[in-house]
Amino acid sequence: MNSLSKQLWPWRILTVVILFLIAASLWAATKRIDYTWRWNRVPQYFAYNAETFEKIPFDGRVLIINRLGDTTSVELESESGEKLTLVVETPSLRVSEGEELFADDSIGSNSEWKAGPLTMGMLMTLWLSAVASFFGLIIGLVTGLCRVSKNPTLRSLSIFYVELIRGTPLLVQIFIFYFFLGTVLDIGRIVAGISALAIFAGAYVAEIIRAGIQSVPKGQTEAARSLGMSATQNMVHIVLPQALKRVLPPLAGQFISLIKDSSLVSVIAITDLTKSGREVITSTFATFEIWFTVALLYLLLTSVLSQLIAWVERRLAVSD
Amino acid sequence: MIKTVDLKKTFTGRGQTVYAVDGVTANVEPGEVVVIIGPSGSGKSTFLRCLNGLETLTSGHIVIDGVDLADRKTDLNKVRREVGMVFQQFNLFPHKKVIENIVLAQMTVRKRDRAEAEEKARMLLEKVGIAEKEQEYPSRLSGGQQQRVAIARALAMDPKIMLFDEPTSSLDPEMVGEVLDVMKDLAREGMTMVVVTHEMGFAREVADRVLFMDQGKLVEEGTPEHFFTEPREERTKLFLKQVL
Repeated sequence: MNSLSKQLWPWRILTVVILFLIAASLWAATKRIDYTWRWNRVPQYFAYNAETFEKIPFDGRVLIINRLGDTTSVELESESGEKLTLVVETPSLRVSEGEELFADDSIGSNSEWKAGPLTMGMLMTLWLSAVASFFGLIIGLVTGLCRVSKNPTLRSLSIFYVELIRGTPLLVQIFIFYFFLGTVLDIGRIVAGISALAIFAGAYVAEIIRAGIQSVPKGQTEAARSLGMSATQNMVHIVLPQALKRVLPPLAGQFISLIKDSSLVSVIAITDLTKSGREVITSTFATFEIWFTVALLYLLLTSVLSQLIAWVERRLAVSD
Repeated sequence: MIKTVDLKKTFTGRGQTVYAVDGVTANVEPGEVVVIIGPSGSGKSTFLRCLNGLETLTSGHIVIDGVDLADRKTDLNKVRREVGMVFQQFNLFPHKKVIENIVLAQMTVRKRDRAEAEEKARMLLEKVGIAEKEQEYPSRLSGGQQQRVAIARALAMDPKIMLFDEPTSSLDPEMVGEVLDVMKDLAREGMTMVVVTHEMGFAREVADRVLFMDQGKLVEEGTPEHFFTEPREERTKLFLKQVL
């Protein structure tokens, strides 16, 4: 063990050196094109401190100012005797007691942390992928079962669906869902986007499920049937649990793909991570930084998912 | 208990028709232990699998406990409940613990509640001598232990008939004995059994009747004494000379 890990050391060093060289050449390449890196502009698009001004809605005067530490409450009175109390942050207070004010004069401000477009975009991508994965899994499961069914109609229909979806580009499917189905069925862009993704993923999941079901040895079904179980009981208790365990790795790959493919829905103006990135670029011109950041965020989502699946796999491996 | 009349099973593939079982007429009385022997490819496993509907018969009749399997209206699942089967490859459910293997069908098919099913499972595990393995997964057991669990699983359904399809053929030699012992106990208790096996010792000791099959046909049948000492047919003599 010890001597083995010693043997591995030179190779590890070589790996690090190669990665370092790649990074260095990238850095040198950007030097040549004279690009000014402004990484400091990126964080504010994750979260920013939004300031909202508290304004007096009428002409009037300040009655009482009551300091409560960090915040201050200001009691206002209009010319007609109407009273109003506003709370602002103490350092931002701009008025004093007895001061006459006109309508829309600001008396101070409140600030709060808000999620920036990149965070919102990431949440949107996460939500789209999660919902599409869920429905994709259900569609795939049903289609996969139809695919191995004895009924010729179910079998042909599922083959037709799988071939249709796998044979056309996702981008085109998204356009069809949005422009054609969206118009005909009067559905919104989010629903159209999620449906397109779910139906796309479903076709691939169906093939994975089919392969999984067929990989369970025939003897399992024979044993179940010989005990008097019905075909459905056999599928639910014996075949599917084993099939799902076997197909977990390719299924994980499919859902990781789905997270990445969800970037395509930005073409129908869904503000996912990719579209947020594009929007941020229009206001910052920090093209390189933002695309690198967006890529990193996708990587973060996909690697969290693959870790999660690896954990489930380890849990299921106890019966091996 | 079991009666087959001119049972035929053919397989067609690549334009060829193979007669796996070719007109077998036989019957098994309640409490009888019938051992089927014969060279490989003689159709004895296929015959056995027809008996609980794992293979659909091509023509002829199988009547089990008064129910004809050839009748389209017969609910095969109902028949299978009464006919337990033990396979050469054990076919335990690998994703379920030993006890769950035995409990599952009791609950789903016989509609027993969990407590009752578990009690029955423990009793049977005790009987086949591996009570201590109930919480293990099948992959942690030896072949002999797995086969004994498989027998317990079949028995849990309270079958009237037990079918054994070469139950010791994929076991290491030192484990054959433990499985045969369980089967002998069952025979002594009066279980109706049909056993396909290559264990001539078992056939001689336990069988009430021996059937010899070759090329899908029932060549000879008789008591073990008759069969092993004075077989009539040339084909039987030749086979016995090769295996004994």
